[in-house]
Amino acid sequence: MHRVDRLSFKLALEESVAMTKWGWGLTLGLLPALLPALAGAASLQLQVLDRDGRPVEFAVLSLEGAGLAAQTTGPVELAQVDKAFVPPVLAVRTGTAVNFPNRDRVRHHVYSFSPAKRFELRLYSGTPAEPVLFDKPGLVVLGCNIHDWMVGYLYITDAPLFAVTDALGRVNFELPPGDYQLGLWHPSNPDLLPQARGELAVGAAGLNQSLSLEWQVAPLVQRPPAPSAFGQAFEDALRESPQ
Amino acid sequence: MPCVNRLNSFQARLVLALVLLLAAVMASVYLFARLAVGEAVREQTAQRLEVGEKVLQRLLEVRRQQLSDAVSVLAADFGFKEAVASGDAPTLRSALLNHAARIRADEALLLDLNGRLIASSLAGEQRKPGFDALALQAVSSGGPLLVPVRGQLHLLVDSPVRAPVPVARVVMGFALDRPVIEELRSLTGLELTLAAHSPEAVLAYSSSLTPSPLELAALLRDSRAGVPHDQRLNGELYLSRAIPLGDLARGRVEAFLHGSLQQAMEGFVGLDRDLFSVTLVALLASLLLALALARAISRPLSELTRVAERIGQGDYAEPIAIAGRDEFGRLARVFGQMQEAIAERERQLAHNALHDAVSGLANRSLALERIGSALQAGRPVGLVALALKNYRQLLDSLSDATAEQLLPALRLRLEAVLGLGDSAARLADDEFLLLLDGRDAEASVALVDRIQQLLGKPLWLGEQALSLDIALGVAAAPSDGDEPELLLRRVDIALQDALQSPERLQVYQQGRDSDYRRQIDLIRALRHAPQQGGLLLHFQPKLDLRLDRVRQAEALLRWQHPLYGMVSPGEFIPLAERTGSIGLLTAWVIEEGCRQLGEWNANGLHLQLSLNVSADDLLQVELVERVAGLIRQHRIEPAQLVFEITESAVMQDQARALAVLDGLRGLGIGLSVDDFGTGYSSLAQLKRMPVQELKIDQSFVRELDARSEDAVIVRSTIEMSHSLGLKVVAEGVEQAGALALLRQWGCDCVQGYFISRPLPAEALVAWLGEREAQEV
Repeated sequence: MHRVDRLSFKLALEESVAMTKWGWGLTLGLLPALLPALAGAASLQLQVLDRDGRPVEFAVLSLEGAGLAAQTTGPVELAQVDKAFVPPVLAVRTGTAVNFPNRDRVRHHVYSFSPAKRFELRLYSGTPAEPVLFDKPGLVVLGCNIHDWMVGYLYITDAPLFAVTDALGRVNFELPPGDYQLGLWHPSNPDLLPQARGELAVGAAGLNQSLSLEWQVAPLVQRPPAPSAFGQAFEDALRESPQ
Repeated sequence: MPCVNRLNSFQARLVLALVLLLAAVMASVYLFARLAVGEAVREQTAQRLEVGEKVLQRLLEVRRQQLSDAVSVLAADFGFKEAVASGDAPTLRSALLNHAARIRADEALLLDLNGRLIASSLAGEQRKPGFDALALQAVSSGGPLLVPVRGQLHLLVDSPVRAPVPVARVVMGFALDRPVIEELRSLTGLELTLAAHSPEAVLAYSSSLTPSPLELAALLRDSRAGVPHDQRLNGELYLSRAIPLGDLARGRVEAFLHGSLQQAMEGFVGLDRDLFSVTLVALLASLLLALALARAISRPLSELTRVAERIGQGDYAEPIAIAGRDEFGRLARVFGQMQEAIAERERQLAHNALHDAVSGLANRSLALERIGSALQAGRPVGLVALALKNYRQLLDSLSDATAEQLLPALRLRLEAVLGLGDSAARLADDEFLLLLDGRDAEASVALVDRIQQLLGKPLWLGEQALSLDIALGVAAAPSDGDEPELLLRRVDIALQDALQSPERLQVYQQGRDSDYRRQIDLIRALRHAPQQGGLLLHFQPKLDLRLDRVRQAEALLRWQHPLYGMVSPGEFIPLAERTGSIGLLTAWVIEEGCRQLGEWNANGLHLQLSLNVSADDLLQVELVERVAGLIRQHRIEPAQLVFEITESAVMQDQARALAVLDGLRGLGIGLSVDDFGTGYSSLAQLKRMPVQELKIDQSFVRELDARSEDAVIVRSTIEMSHSLGLKVVAEGVEQAGALALLRQWGCDCVQGYFISRPLPAEALVAWLGEREAQEV
């Protein structure tokens, strides 16, 4: 019994640590909203590469620093398309409501057991009436109870500034020059914990920085397993029969 | 089988060899078959074990897969995921228990991603330390993980709990107990033992057999993976194969498959039995066969041995009782031929032994046999010995071709005179013997006359008529002897006598045999008589009528035979003359005479000695030399010697005889004609002979009477001699009257028993001394 307690304590501790980080991130994330009004915006270009030098998509880079104000955003959506979460990684500020539109013909049962938000959207199609509010920073891992391969990551952060890398592993920030703390998170991170990537000094001229992960990153794929004969037959029947 | 009683060594060897050979063959066949079967069974079992291993691996794999799938399904259960996400310990435990129960797992564990235990279905005291380590292994290994739990092996299967990413691992354990083992057993027919053991202890095991702790320990200790080895379990023999299933922290987990060798062998028990019984039957059959074969070989051999023995003993008559076309039959036939050949040769030899080759008549041996058998049977048999005196001359006179016909013709003639039961034999080239069966002496003689007549007729050979000079000797059995040899000798003596006689016929007379024998003895002894010292000289004094004194003596040879005593000269002299010993005798006489004269001379007695000389002596030219030498040697005067010779002695070789006489006369020796008036008296010859004296034979003197014819002869002889200038000596004076007459008629000298018989030397000297004394 005490083992479980110890574990939950550990989790709680980590949570708090994470939350602190996220808190900072959140704060920093808000700053870009303010800073342009204050000073001229510099361009910060960051690129994330893995160990082999390949560009890493879907990495969340968050910046915290003085002068960055957090901003709230409107509802964001994480859709299910073709039995996959699209985008697989979504970064939102704490307090954002997220819609989960089901664009598939089949129903999905979206769930998450993550401590940041535990919720279920049972077997629905279309868009649920209410979006889900994520009011705690942290990582929410989403899955579909019916389709085991569907995995989505919702990164809720307090950081004022954050962005998700594109296919080339790039993000672009417009922010006032200054010193900022950089945070990096990717689904391949060990223990799914964000990394602090140190200070960045952005000059007026901007900064172009490349970040390297110490590990190999495989592309995020949500692919169903190869169909068994039964499965194949099912698929064929499905295609043929009018729906 | 009679042969078994007389088990000879060859038979025994043959039987033994055959039986041993077959026994060896069968034994090795049986052995090899057994070995092969044993090998095959082992091989088979080993293969089954190999297959069994594959089956076991597959079985475990399938089981694991099944269980894994089941656990995966369980792990995917939303409710379970929720429970796991809740982190609530009791909830987790009950969830584990529930889910474990769903798939009948014996235990369920929830581990975090680092392998640390979060929750477990096992109660506190049941949880063993180190279980989490094992669970970690379950996480990391791919194959079925078997761990010993509560003395049993449990299969641990794990599955990640995805929510949706792996957040924990659920591990479920299933005891591998009897059902698994039974399933494997039913699939493969092999026994299974599962064991987890460390070097010190057996941590868990379960087995379809019930091995004793010792057996189990041996099994665990001795097995090598992949190498099947023999193991005794439950008291039965199994071939075991060890299959490693995994390693523990200290020790390992292994499965052992056992194939029963005994069971596998059972299938061959039938073969075994059959092979064994075949072996026995074959052995028995071979024994009988061998005995039969041995008998088949040794029976003919024994028979042949017997036959050979019989032949060795001279029985050629019995036929050989072996038929057949095989080698033995052939051998037997050859033996039979040999037997016949030997018999034939023996007959031939016997025939030859008993018959004369040339004429085909019986030979001496057969003749003796026949005589012998007649004697034994008590039958009288007459023996007629027949000699063909002119056989050689006849042969010489004939051509070769004609000569060959002589004997057959003779034989025919002989056989013509014989009757039934009689037989003829050939004893020598020119001598034959007729056996007249059933005739005694008289009957034989009567028949012999007729034989003589018949055989006397000329024998015609082609154009030639040959006259046969036949002499016959007759003897009869049993009157003339009771033994064949004796009879033959006696008839032969008769034949010898017949040959000498003009009648050419002689019947054996009693005593002739001993006469003959005596003769032969004497003849033999005569040859050595001079050396033996049996000879001596007796001296018969001669009275000189003119002087009325004795001044001469005639030396007469006497012979003392060791056996026969004194042998008269009348007997041995003719023998000596016949056998050529006369020369020896005369030589001795002359020498002894000279010696004696010399001795007498030395003693002052001067005599004249007359010696008889034979015809043979006169033919020796050396005689003169010899006599000369003796005269000198003994220092006698030649005139002291007078040699007396008969007229017939000169006849043989007149010229040479006269030459010798002349030679003797030349020496100064006197010569005298002995036995005048008998024999071949020839006055013409007398003239030629250089003699000084003439002796009138005693036959005229012995019964001299004034009126007899002898008187006329004597008287005229005296006158004639005187006229011829010869002195006259009269021998055989035995009466006074004769003496007076002779004195009257003017005979010079007389000799005879009336004066004195012949005396030995000492006696003569004594007699002379007495006479001189009387005269004076």
